[in-house]
Amino acid sequence: MSAAWAMVRHRFASFAGTFVAVFLGVAVVAGSATLYLSSRPQAPARYDQAPVLVTPPDPGTGDDRDRRAWTAEEAAGLAARLGAVPGVAAAVPDPWFYVQRVEAGRPAGDPQAALVDGHAWSSAVLGGYRLTSGRAPAAPGEVALGGTAAGPATPGAAAPGKTSPDKTTQSMTTTDDQTAGGTTPGKTAPGKTTPSRTTPSRTTADDRVSSGATSGKAAPGGATAGGTATAGKTGAGTTIEVLTSAGPETWTVTGTVDGPGFYLADEEARKRASGVHVIGMTVTGDVPRVAGDARTVIGAEGVVRSGAERDALEPVSVTRIRWLGAQLLIALVMLGTFATVFVVASTCALSAAQRRRELGLLRAVGATPGQVRRLMYAETTLIAVFAGLIGAPAGAAAAPLLAEPMVRFGLEPAGFTVTRQPVALAGAVLLGLVVALFGVTAAARRASRIPPLDALREAAVDPRPMTPVRWVAGVLGAAAGGALLAGMSSFPLESQVTVGLGAAMLLLTAAALLSPVLIGPLVRAVAGPWRGTATGMLVREGTLTGVRRVASTAAPVLATVGLTMLLAGMVATIEVAAGFDETAKYPEANVLVPDGTPGLSTAAVTAQGAEPALTTRLLLTHGDVTTGGSATGGGDGLVLDRLTAAQLQAEAGDTVTVRFVDGAVTALPVSRIGDEVGLPRELVRQHDPDALTSIVVLEDPAVPVIGARALPVHDFVMEEVEEEGRLVDLFLLALIGLTAGYTAIAVGNTLLMATAARRTEFRALRLAGAGTGQVLRVVSAEALLAVATGAVLGGLVAVVSLAGVRAAVENEIGRDIALVVPWGTAAVVTGVCVVLAVLSTAVPVLRRAG
Amino acid sequence: MTNHETPAVELRAAARTFGSGERSVTALDRVDARFEPGTFTAVMGPSGSGKSTLLHCAAGLDRVTSGEVIIDGVPLGGLSERALTRLRRSRVGFVFQSFNLVPALTAAQNVALPLRLAGRRPQRGEVATMLAEVGLDGREGHRPPELSGGQQQRVAIARALVSRPAVLFADEPTGALDAASGAGVLRLLRAAVDRHRQTIVMVTHDPVAAATADRVVFLADGRVVGELPGMVGAERIALHTARLEAVTR
Ligand SMILES: Nc1ncnc2c1ncn2[C@@H]1O[C@H](COP(=O)(O)OP(=O)(O)OP(=O)(O)O)[C@@H](O)[C@H]1O
Ligand SMILES: [Mg+2]
Repeated sequence: MSAAWAMVRHRFASFAGTFVAVFLGVAVVAGSATLYLSSRPQAPARYDQAPVLVTPPDPGTGDDRDRRAWTAEEAAGLAARLGAVPGVAAAVPDPWFYVQRVEAGRPAGDPQAALVDGHAWSSAVLGGYRLTSGRAPAAPGEVALGGTAAGPATPGAAAPGKTSPDKTTQSMTTTDDQTAGGTTPGKTAPGKTTPSRTTPSRTTADDRVSSGATSGKAAPGGATAGGTATAGKTGAGTTIEVLTSAGPETWTVTGTVDGPGFYLADEEARKRASGVHVIGMTVTGDVPRVAGDARTVIGAEGVVRSGAERDALEPVSVTRIRWLGAQLLIALVMLGTFATVFVVASTCALSAAQRRRELGLLRAVGATPGQVRRLMYAETTLIAVFAGLIGAPAGAAAAPLLAEPMVRFGLEPAGFTVTRQPVALAGAVLLGLVVALFGVTAAARRASRIPPLDALREAAVDPRPMTPVRWVAGVLGAAAGGALLAGMSSFPLESQVTVGLGAAMLLLTAAALLSPVLIGPLVRAVAGPWRGTATGMLVREGTLTGVRRVASTAAPVLATVGLTMLLAGMVATIEVAAGFDETAKYPEANVLVPDGTPGLSTAAVTAQGAEPALTTRLLLTHGDVTTGGSATGGGDGLVLDRLTAAQLQAEAGDTVTVRFVDGAVTALPVSRIGDEVGLPRELVRQHDPDALTSIVVLEDPAVPVIGARALPVHDFVMEEVEEEGRLVDLFLLALIGLTAGYTAIAVGNTLLMATAARRTEFRALRLAGAGTGQVLRVVSAEALLAVATGAVLGGLVAVVSLAGVRAAVENEIGRDIALVVPWGTAAVVTGVCVVLAVLSTAVPVLRRAG
Repeated sequence: MTNHETPAVELRAAARTFGSGERSVTALDRVDARFEPGTFTAVMGPSGSGKSTLLHCAAGLDRVTSGEVIIDGVPLGGLSERALTRLRRSRVGFVFQSFNLVPALTAAQNVALPLRLAGRRPQRGEVATMLAEVGLDGREGHRPPELSGGQQQRVAIARALVSRPAVLFADEPTGALDAASGAGVLRLLRAAVDRHRQTIVMVTHDPVAAATADRVVFLADGRVVGELPGMVGAERIALHTARLEAVTR
């Protein structure tokens, strides 16, 4: 180990490649993992004062979207029994429903969050919210208004200086400057402990509208706006305009509350909500004991959650946002790891080749092959640990900087904060070490076979650029990558990008391994015309005897050009396909779609002379099989689709038990088997009063209504595609930025290493009469050759992979689409590599000369 | 002369050919040679006559194509790469013409290297004594680039001798040095033989250097073609060499 330390200290420059690769890799992984682990599910803030929560039992269909509810009566009964448990101060059902404030004729705030903004007044106690003025609501049409805007006591709390940048976005949805930043309840409730995520936005409890065309996808632009971005001086006695699932309403404010939400009289809330999903308990006694007693009381009728189990109540919409963010972070970790292995392997191979003489000397002096191998591992361990110990904190320090953009782009929920994640850091350091050791394996094995006599050979000539192992690994990699591409259409659509990336990584590795085969012919072809000149001869012979060196320097170029072209081309191809795909489904007509709302209210639909196409979720039981599914209101009886019918083994005429979202259970005969699950509209409305319509196809010109807009189908589809494309573009940018940045650094790095190690060679050249200019020409030409090799191979891999992606997409949509090869991107990336390559070879040469 | 001691190194019909087919070169052609303990042998011969090859094969740095090499009673033939390395580490010292030292290590570290590779911690003063013996006391902390060519060569000799090998091989150790430094190195080698009964086999082109040896072995075209005692002096050795070169040409 001491020898390793001496080597590392002495020849740090030649280990710089490994160092930089591991440093960057560990930083990326540590940063991504810190973000990933910081993003934990968390119970909504409105249960802050309810350490024990009870939810209905899991329906057991294995689908997250299937949630059982209690009917209001069931919930009241259970709450009464739970309230009797010793140590329980109050057991309160929390029925919720859609309410959205209308300001200046437009729905305000985050539509997804608005889905759960309506509550029963009694549930305010679960968040510890109290009236700041006025009185509690008692009659229909009365509301206790939450949000800080309401209270006259609040304006002073939000001093302009304290307004953080993301709060400014919120203030845009308010009409009164004084209320800016007011949606974070903790700010205005001094003395009340603020958990890390108190912002009430994104507290959607169910994803019901996602089954329709207005998918429940994150509405990224609105991510920072609170659901109750209430405005104006709305003290007790004033009226407010709101939108509910029924349509526009005007309510009288009876009081103001120091937490977010709209609080209605209990009976009124009960009627509007589609069942009860949570009973919260405020507790005076010992929480675990109370939870235990509650479990005994409630038995199989509910699930009692305390402590960390409460966090399972995270709203689905928030989970979805975090899932999206996690996809990006996982991709970053994957690419970071790949780039590290790739770059470490090529720099280690290069540095081992450069140290042939030295390693031969060690062998001559008495080092066994095992000792040489261990020396290489020890050196790499030192470098990797050192790089990791610097890289991990660097990554962790960069992570919080990414939190804000991630929230802004809808990849993390509002209020997301980065916490310290020692495990992520330790893991990243360890990963860096393992990956570096993995990268050095091949080089170490090769080095240990250096014969001791190599210490006596002046110039290291690559005896065999291609070893059998290299051939086998290269061909296997190419085959595996090709197979993945060929079988791509059998993977689900969401994971096809990942599969494509995986295939590309395999192909890139294969290309790097096989590149020495290509270098010979390429050099002969390119250097051919200049064979007569000294430069031509030197370049030709220099590269032909140093094929491995050229391969090592070409590898990062290969990765940079290949990955960038592939990512850009893949997205372009998928976007082209997606655009066609969706347009084809829609007729030449106008549609009415939600505008700043999570769905269309009944009033908005009926105003058009149409019937609301209500969507709800059902739990269907036949025999001992239970399955969940979306159902549309509109038929004449219970209609099952073929899949559900098959699952339930039910036929027309059989009686099926239907559990509605409000918890009510009815037995209904199956009237027929159709294309989708359907129910009479009145039944849906009755049992899912909070249901919204996702989209209406219009026959006549649209009647303007609040919270809806009409547009041609084509435009709507384009918007949807663009929305999706925006996210994909974001992913793309992050991934390209990472890989291209990373590998581009490696390009400079390996060339710098390669050139610096050839000092003696250049000295000999100068002694033979070559001027600095000539030496420069030789090394630049060599560098350009390496870049050309890398670019050609990278381009080849990208085009092959893109062809694979295209085939998969064509298979998916059953139509031919054009192959999009991003030549522009390729040219730019190659150009950057050329500049980097020339700079990093010229600098060492000029420094020697100067 | 009867000697019942085991020879430090013995070559029996040792042959080494490079390449195969038409382009094959026979660098060593069934050479028999014995190097007795405590003797200093010089190997001379025209360029390309196989001197280096002989040394490499005898030192176990290279393997013979046929025949046998026995170091300190151990035949090298059946040894694995690992066992061979171990044997070399403990029984053989080697000094090259140049590039002898690991540039990353100090003089002391370079000298201690064979011991450390053998998994042994150098005893207190062991390395310093060795360096003092080659006249480099106080230079322990210097790295190769900070030492002159002659000093580097002396560090290399100290390193080759530190493990008290059965035999020390030196391939033109003075070849890259000026006359004064070369003489210093030769005095060192002679002293090792006289004081510690060190066995030394040295390849050289220099008749003066060869004259410091006990015995001079002449090689031509991969074969031993003659032998002179070192004490005959540089002139007679030079004469013999010149005659040999004329014959081979
Ligand atoms: N690795 C090798 N591959 C092929 N041929 C070799 C190799 N090493 C030596 N030879 C050939 O073997 C012969 C003997 O070489 P060797 O190096 O032993 O000569 P030498 O006597 O040491 O010459 P010099 O005095 O110039 O150092 C030469 O013809 C040389 O070309
Ligand atoms: Mg020689």
